[in-house]
Amino acid sequence: MQKNPYCPIKAKITDIIEETPAIKTFVLRPEKAIPFKTGEFMELTVSGLGEAPFTPSSNPRIEDTMELTIMDVGRVTSRLHKMKKGDVLGVRGPYGKGYPLKDFEGKEVLIVGGGVGLAPLRSLILDLLNDIDRYKKVLIKYGARSPKDIVYKNQVKEWQKNKKLSLELTVDKGDKGWKGNVGLITTLLKKNMGVDIKNSVTIVCGPPVMMKFTTFKLIESGYSDADIYLSMEKNMSCGIGKCGHCRIGPYYSCQDGPVFTYDKIKGYHTIWE
Amino acid sequence: MKERFLKKDDFKKFADALADIYRVYHIRKGRDENLHLLRYSGEVKDAVIGGVRPFEPLKNFFFYAREKVVDGYKDSEEVGEGEDKAFCILGVKNCDLAGLNISDYVFTQGDFKDPFYIRNRERNLIIAADCSKAIDTCFCHAVGNQHYPEKNYDILMSELSAGYLIEAATEKGERVLGRHAELFDAAQRKHSEERDRIRKHAGEEVEKNIKANEIPPYTDYKDIIKENIESEIWQREADACVECGSCNVVCPTCHCFYLVDASRDGDKEVRYKVWDSCMYKRFARVAGGVNPRRHIRERLRNRFEKKFDFFPQVCEYYACTGCGRCFSGCPGKIDIRKILKDLVREKKAKAKT
Repeated sequence: MQKNPYCPIKAKITDIIEETPAIKTFVLRPEKAIPFKTGEFMELTVSGLGEAPFTPSSNPRIEDTMELTIMDVGRVTSRLHKMKKGDVLGVRGPYGKGYPLKDFEGKEVLIVGGGVGLAPLRSLILDLLNDIDRYKKVLIKYGARSPKDIVYKNQVKEWQKNKKLSLELTVDKGDKGWKGNVGLITTLLKKNMGVDIKNSVTIVCGPPVMMKFTTFKLIESGYSDADIYLSMEKNMSCGIGKCGHCRIGPYYSCQDGPVFTYDKIKGYHTIWE
Repeated sequence: MKERFLKKDDFKKFADALADIYRVYHIRKGRDENLHLLRYSGEVKDAVIGGVRPFEPLKNFFFYAREKVVDGYKDSEEVGEGEDKAFCILGVKNCDLAGLNISDYVFTQGDFKDPFYIRNRERNLIIAADCSKAIDTCFCHAVGNQHYPEKNYDILMSELSAGYLIEAATEKGERVLGRHAELFDAAQRKHSEERDRIRKHAGEEVEKNIKANEIPPYTDYKDIIKENIESEIWQREADACVECGSCNVVCPTCHCFYLVDASRDGDKEVRYKVWDSCMYKRFARVAGGVNPRRHIRERLRNRFEKKFDFFPQVCEYYACTGCGRCFSGCPGKIDIRKILKDLVREKKAKAKT
């Protein structure tokens, strides 16, 4: 008897948090705990409809539940958004390579997120906070379309107060109550960010076009390609390097990523699409 | 292992004996004059052991076009032996055996393995055969393969004028032959000499094809995609593509699939693993609509990149076996031989300037 890698286990939705009009966080309790490392992803099944890949947004130290923050953009996600507390999903994983936290130790960690791209980064931030003294500095730059599109609003407030973190927000378009920065995420990545770039790594997650311009800006600021960690969103169906959909050059995003350093993938075409 | 001889008249006895244990498929000429891989019916008069590869690729027997991989989450956590009889595929040619190099790599290597493929690979019996001729689409030598079985089979059966020269290549194959010792005579030197003559003749026919179509050898394929990313070849060829996906279906190395969840079957969750085609527009599309390969030319280039750039990097093989099925089946007559020729020519021209 061999383990079936295509078979999910059941997971009950124990809570749903409405982050923005289009984004919800689902708290899942799988029948058996599925421990994961931050940055690894899960395949989530809506029974009878299909699967989609998501990286958990919760603290990996919490093992009996996991949170997944999901935007309503497609077939599976729109059905997910109609589901209620107590409903049951399928989940299998974890897949891919997580963030190499060991390599971040002693360094200044610059985290750059856009929109729902803060989801995997939240898991990373919570994991960094688990052992915050191992890192020299943790800086977070987060951009959303408008103030109401900011995810994890309460947590963001906590992080702003946390002396161990430095958090800056920006929105593409402000509203009456907004007093912060207005402009694209790249406007937060000024030359003088208070980062010792030579002793820093940067982790970026967001929509493809945001990642593209953020990467270029970071390189302009002095980051080397090998210190820029990017989340490559590809069509990952099987999650285990068999089905062929998520190829980037000699890699499969599901098996060798979804987090890649820029030096590994920059030579391949269509990485930003 | 020792060579045996089976008389033409005893072939039916052998096939019947195999059919007691296996679901036997063998090559037969169809009404369309093509060779097809069909279920053995007890009738042997139009069976073809030599000849060339059939229209259908071998992969179907290991990686099904549609396979149920989940039938209720609880009941499907582990994959058992399978209840049906295993397959015996008779008369398999080397272009299909070479395809197993790729599918074995994909499904049996890496952190995760595919237990469905592994089960089929372990259970099924492959009786391979020499090609006794070539048809005008054969070009196996160009991609580095022979026109007779090299590996990945259990028993080799070479068709001769009076019968078959038979040799087991695995213990499983030897066990099967050992069970029916009464059917076989000892092979004689004249039998292997006749096999060598047939091999030589068929090999010359393959070489003639390669020459006539100016197909470059695999030693020229390095970086042919990388050096031709922006080439006009892709658009020119894509213009003829109707996105039917037949090239993927008939290819012995194409392995892409997707997981499809059927609506609930009673209380049970049902999931199928279904062949996919990289020539379909939605193949690489992600939710929200971003698509890295929106145009056919990009998808065609991706197909070649996978075969001639990806696989030689991750395992040691080019993922083309020279079987010629993709352009035989293509409604747009997109010809891999011509594309290889043009890619190599443009790469060489570039190197000169």
